[in-house]
Amino acid sequence: MRSQRLLKLIIAHTVLIVVCALILIPFAMVVIASFRKGNFPPSTLWLNPDQWTFDHWRYVLGIPYREILNATTGETKLVNPTVPPLHWFLNSILVASIASFGIILLSGTSAYAFARLKFRFRGQILTGLLVLQMFPQILTLTAYYRILNNIGEHIPWLGLNTYAGLILIYLSGISINIWMIKGYFDTISPSMEDSARIDGASRFQAFTKILLPMSAPIFAVVFILSFISMISEYPTASVVLQESANRTLAVGAYSLLDEHEKLWGHFSALAVLSGVPITIMFLLCQRFIIGGLTSGGAKE
Amino acid sequence: MNDGAVHITDLVKTYTDDRGRPTFTAVKKINLEINNGEFMVLVGPSGCGKTTTLRMVAGLEKITSGTIAIGERVVNDLEPKDRGIAMVFQNYALYPHMSIFNNMAFGLQLAKKKKDFIQETVSRTSKALGLDQMLERKPQALSGGQRQRVALGRAIVRNPQVFLFDEPLSNLDAKMRVQMRSEISRLHAQLGNTMVYVTHDQVEAMTMGDRICVMKDGLIMQVADPLTLYRQPENLFVAGFIGSPPMNLLKGRVEKGDGGLTFKETAEEGGVSFPLKGPAEALAAKYVGKPIVFGIRPEHLTEENKNGSHVPVTSTIDIAEPMGAESLVYLRAGTTNLIARIHGETLFHMGQPITVYVNLEKVLLFDSETENVIR
Repeated sequence: MRSQRLLKLIIAHTVLIVVCALILIPFAMVVIASFRKGNFPPSTLWLNPDQWTFDHWRYVLGIPYREILNATTGETKLVNPTVPPLHWFLNSILVASIASFGIILLSGTSAYAFARLKFRFRGQILTGLLVLQMFPQILTLTAYYRILNNIGEHIPWLGLNTYAGLILIYLSGISINIWMIKGYFDTISPSMEDSARIDGASRFQAFTKILLPMSAPIFAVVFILSFISMISEYPTASVVLQESANRTLAVGAYSLLDEHEKLWGHFSALAVLSGVPITIMFLLCQRFIIGGLTSGGAKE
Repeated sequence: MNDGAVHITDLVKTYTDDRGRPTFTAVKKINLEINNGEFMVLVGPSGCGKTTTLRMVAGLEKITSGTIAIGERVVNDLEPKDRGIAMVFQNYALYPHMSIFNNMAFGLQLAKKKKDFIQETVSRTSKALGLDQMLERKPQALSGGQRQRVALGRAIVRNPQVFLFDEPLSNLDAKMRVQMRSEISRLHAQLGNTMVYVTHDQVEAMTMGDRICVMKDGLIMQVADPLTLYRQPENLFVAGFIGSPPMNLLKGRVEKGDGGLTFKETAEEGGVSFPLKGPAEALAAKYVGKPIVFGIRPEHLTEENKNGSHVPVTSTIDIAEPMGAESLVYLRAGTTNLIARIHGETLFHMGQPITVYVNLEKVLLFDSETENVIR
């Protein structure tokens, strides 16, 4: 009996440890690579004391550092980082924040319409959205390029190489969010909005004052998911943003892995840094993701 | 003052699908006059259109055709807030993210009333409802009865001409329901407003309503005060719906014999038959040889033979439910099932033979085809 339990325990823990290792080891390798002298791809979990350096982080954060030019002569050069990495970082946060807010705004109002209003082809449109979502957005990339190019000729701030243009494209991918939010709205009894309307609220007030506060958890989830996906989004951003200074983090980071010179150390530091805004955003949103927000209002 | 009278004229509600095609007619051209200050109960089985009617009065449901007027005003195209109504929902419909105070004050705040006024009104109302200790709490922290009381308070602070109740007690437990029932009745007595109350529970309807409107399949079956409804139902549906346990309804036909008319139950074998004497005889005269339904309330089946208008039925006891003051006895006479409400002094046993007497003066006869009572 006891040995059987022990065996179960060992097996369970082995599985868990292996899974954890699969997740954590690559991450640790990247972190290590970001502190390793020279530009080596992530490959080790251990650094000798003489292999440590903060140069990659200095580069990423725009702090001047000395780079060894010739190991035998000990010749060094003061490198004054040209700041792009921090720039990319801020670009990403800007784009991801604005686009995520936009997504919440658009998908929240659309979801309300699908959940509460009656109109022709409602069901068909809803299904259509789901079908559209199944095609990867990358398929439409060339079309986006042409569209932004054309728009840019008339409205320069919304064309290629603008954040507004990139955000515009990001805002088009909201159908899955509409579905998620609609699903949440469907679980909230419409009688509360009925009640609000009798209390004198307009439809819009019933939406903003009653339904929205109760739906905070789903909006927090949608916001985080959008934010994460946009911080790490590469294909669209790489096509739309072509100037070095206005790249987003993902595009910028990839540019460090040039065909001729792969700056793995810089890349690793930047990759670790990109996790920071996501983590912060997650911690900020987490307090909204709580259960029981709608309980107590209606009894079914 | 005639402000709170509700006039419903030729009201129709047809639901439509997303494309606007009609799918289902819930309310079929009904007419109903609700007097100012009256407690009107709409009662009927689920799907009878009572809630739809109420929601149209509230303005939550578009009217397909017909008119609804409150006081002298036709309110068809008015927003709910402009109709002078307040509504209490079955599932409370409180705002879960707001405190009790804000729940009650929400309407006044939207109407941009002065802060002092809101404070004063809410605290006065909450005190009257015994909620003044929990104004800062969220609905989640309240019991079902308290929540429904908050919903009631929210309606009261709006100071409406007409209160609308949509099955407000259905979600409460039995004890709470009885208590809230009397609270609402008391509220009606105090405020004197018109109240329209929807329920599927005929006990609630009988105990609370000044008048009761019985509905079925989108049509009004009968509108009357509780006792009239109970004693003089106009049709089979009302007779069977009002009263608990329900009226005994036996299908059969009128036959003419030597001693006068008799009712003979239609049954494969052993149906009961009763002589039709007294008032029933005259009523049945036109129905000789025709199918009718014979109706008798359980309390009009007695154990004692009081006078000449009682006829005996020999039967055996199927189930007896002693309630203390009285017993409900489910009888079997041949293949016929009857329910009798008999005094509670003796304990009955299953299978025990018993002779009960039908009080022929209380018999109601219904036309089988039209299902209307025979007068």
